[in-house]
This record gives sequence, C-alpha cells and structure tokens, in this order.
Amino acid sequence: MIEARDLSKRYGEVVAVDGVSFSVDRGEVVGFLGPNGAGKTTTMRMLTGFLPPTDGSAEIAGHDIFDDALAARRAIGYLPETPPLYPEMTVSSYVTFVARIKDVPRRARAEAVDRALERCALADVRSRVIGTLSKGFRQRVGLAQAIVHSPPVLILDEPTVGLDPIQIGEIRGLIAELAAGEGDDRHTIILSSHILAEVEAICRRVILINEGRKTVDASIDELTRDGKTLEGLFAQETARDTVAADSAAGGGGAS
Amino acid sequence: MRHISTIAARELRSLFVSPVAYVVMSLFSVLAGLFFVLGVAAFNSRVMQLRQFQATDMLATLNLNDHLIGYFFDSMSVVLLFLVPGVTMGLFSSEKSNGTQELLLTSPLTIWDIVLGKFTAGALFVTILVGLVAVFPGILFAYGDPEVGKTASGLLGVLLVCWTYVAIGCFASSITRSQVVGFLITFVLLLFLLLLPAIADLGVAGDAPQLGAALRWLSTGDHFQGLMRGLVDTSDMVYFAVIIGSFLLLTKAAVESVRWR
Repeated sequence: MIEARDLSKRYGEVVAVDGVSFSVDRGEVVGFLGPNGAGKTTTMRMLTGFLPPTDGSAEIAGHDIFDDALAARRAIGYLPETPPLYPEMTVSSYVTFVARIKDVPRRARAEAVDRALERCALADVRSRVIGTLSKGFRQRVGLAQAIVHSPPVLILDEPTVGLDPIQIGEIRGLIAELAAGEGDDRHTIILSSHILAEVEAICRRVILINEGRKTVDASIDELTRDGKTLEGLFAQETARDTVAADSAAGGGGAS
Repeated sequence: MRHISTIAARELRSLFVSPVAYVVMSLFSVLAGLFFVLGVAAFNSRVMQLRQFQATDMLATLNLNDHLIGYFFDSMSVVLLFLVPGVTMGLFSSEKSNGTQELLLTSPLTIWDIVLGKFTAGALFVTILVGLVAVFPGILFAYGDPEVGKTASGLLGVLLVCWTYVAIGCFASSITRSQVVGFLITFVLLLFLLLLPAIADLGVAGDAPQLGAALRWLSTGDHFQGLMRGLVDTSDMVYFAVIIGSFLLLTKAAVESVRWR
C-alpha cells in the first residue's frame, strides 16, 4: 500500500531525511519511532505530498506521489501533529467540508460524515463550534477528518500527544478499530510517536528513525523475542549513533 | 470548479460567523451614508449659488452624474481601500497559523482551486459592499434623473477596482502567517496604487516620459475615470483582467512556495 524509495529531504546543507526506504502492506499498522527532530514528521509530510522529497519517490496505493499526485492524496487520510481545524466552524460542517475537498461523491457525503462522527464518538458534539471543544475532542475531530473519505492509507503524526490518559486510551482504541476493519474499513496505518508504550500497544511493526536515517525496521515480536524491551532498543539505537559520531570526531582529531 | 466553490463557500461562511464581515459592512454603510449626505449638500449649495448669480449656462452643465455620483464613487473607492485589507488579510495567512494549510495541500486540490476559491470569496464579499454603494445613487433616481448608463458603468468601475484590491490582498495574505502583517502589506500596496498617477506625472514631466506613461497605465486611475465617464472600453477591461490575473499568479506562486523550501 505504501512504497517509499530512498526518500531524502535536504534544506540547504541540513539533511532532515536521508534515503529512507520501506514498504507497508495492506492492513499493517506501523509505528514510526524516533527522538524529536529525527525526521518522522518530514517523512510523513513527503508521503502525504505536503513536501516534495529532494530525492527518491513514493507510491501510495499504487499512485506515485508526483506523477499521480491527486489520486495519491485521495488515498490518504492525514492527521498532522496539530489537527488542521477551523475554530469558527461547527464539527459537522467542518467534516462535511473535508469530505467535499476529498472528493466524496455528493450522494455518499452525508452518510460518510455521519459514519466518521460516529466512529470518533463525536455525534453528540456535531453542532458545537470547534473552538469551544476540549483538546481531546479536537484531536478526535482531527481523526474524523482523516477518515471521512475512507482512505486506504492513514498517516497519523503523534495522534495522542498532549492528551490525558483516558483520552489516549480512547484514541488508541479507535486506531486499533480502524486497523481491524473488514474490506473498505481495513486501513493501512502509519503513526509516529516517541512514546514507546504506545507503539507497543498499537503497532505490530516498528520503523525507527534517527537523525534522518532508518536504523531499525522489524516486527515488535522479533524485537522483543529474547526478553529485550523497546526501551532498551531505543536507547541503544539512538545512543550508538551519538557514540559513533563522537568517536568519528575524536578519531579525526587524533590523526 | 466544484472545489473552487467549496473553498469559496467555506471562506464566506467563516467571514460571516466572525465579526469581521459585520464590522466592515456596518462601518462602510455609515461612511458611505455620510459621504453621500455631504455630497448631496455640496451639490445643493452649488445649485443655490449658481441660481443666485443667475448663471444659467453653468446651471445647464451641472448634472447629477458628473457633479455628485462621480465624486461619490471616487470617494467610495478610497474608503474601500481602507476596508478591503481587513477582509482579505486572513484569507491565506490564517490557513498557515491554523495549520489548515496542511489539510488543503494534502487534499486532492490544485493550488488554483485554493487561490481562485479564496479570491472568489473575497470578490463576492466586496460585491456586497458595492451593492451597498449602489443604494445611494438609487435614491437619486427616485428624486432626480441621473443617466442610467453612466451610473451603471461607474458602479462597474468601483466593482472592478475593489476586485483588484482583493487580488492584491490575496497576494499580501499569502506571503505571511500574520493577519496584521497581511493587512499592512495590502494597505501599503493599495496606497501605492492610489499614488501611482502622481508618481507617473513626475515621470511624464521629467526625463522619463515612457516610464511615466507605463506607470499611468498601471494605476487604476485612468481606467476607473473612463468607466466613470460612461465609457466601457475593452482596453480598460483588459487592464483589470491583467492586474487581477497577475496578482493571482503571484499568490499561486507564494502558496506553492511551501513546496520549494
């Protein structure tokens, strides 16, 4: 469903993402893991077509993000780190607007909106103005806009950041539900997080990104087989790079 | 097309649930009314004066179109220069500060859908304002006999000038994330547009007559005045289309530039 080939993003001299490749099959739930500033958001933004990669290419549901951009974007539901909401709109008019710009056909629109609101438990607040909602509700509205056009691929950037434990539980439950559906309801999901427990709870596979590079790509079962923990791996992977960089710098100085 | 109207409808809705639309419309009605009453009073005293001096030949040349409606439309185009930036300042900048830009740019929309949708919303809103302007000459039709054609073409002039303001406002709003900065840039650009004829005259009188002529053509002034005199000239229509089109093109480039960085 998702094919990334050598995605790179450079800003002048700064390399934000450096040759990241991976592929995700239908129905998989993959966690993007990495410290802040590792390039998770940039990678997601390239997949969604918000930022063009400096190098490399990607395909979403068989559509190239460049050559077939509109079809690729139609196949994606995207929840950026801050949910893209218009505070002055009501919940249902906002989700209806998103359904329109995502090309949900007119006849199916009302039903699609109702379904998205239902799934995100927003039916009771549908006529409330978004600006008056709590953070947890706003996050759910963000999720509702991502799923309203039943996209095969969902890309969620830190979907639980800044929520309280109960809200986190709700959002996680919802994501698990979206991944478990049948037919059109079965979504392929990439979500980023720096909360390890979260990734462990929702995802079956982990891609670890550190300093713009993919360092680990394996299933959680594999990674934790010998009694190891994700914490250990995370610390080891992010630390090894620092040590390697330090020794490289030190070695350079000595010679 | 479908997407353009979706974007425009959303924008208009947001404008009308925020106080901006109502503040602009009510302030504008008050100002327009004030200018109109003052204009009618000035016209009246002029008529009285000429009667007193029995200047019948001058009285004969006095007419509502040239000596009242023309001035009124002229001042309206200046009043709107202050108000339109308030309407357009948030069109693009608020998408950036809200983070909704990311939604629009990752949806199956083209950049033109977004730019034209927003321009349409702004243009429709100022069309309502110009509709308010039209009320006042309407009153004159009830009590006097201004020329319909001249009044209509003058009104078209106000409308086209306002659409130009909106296009410039779109551009200014698209290059910043701050609404205040968007307002200020628009305002300065519009003032510059207003001053262009004066700058052009400097050139015409001085060493650069060609540059002067070019600047004159660029300013709305002559094209607006032509319409005010009742001349609906193709070249003036082309002028407005070119100016509006150029600023929309710049806006498109500015919106797209997120992708270049």
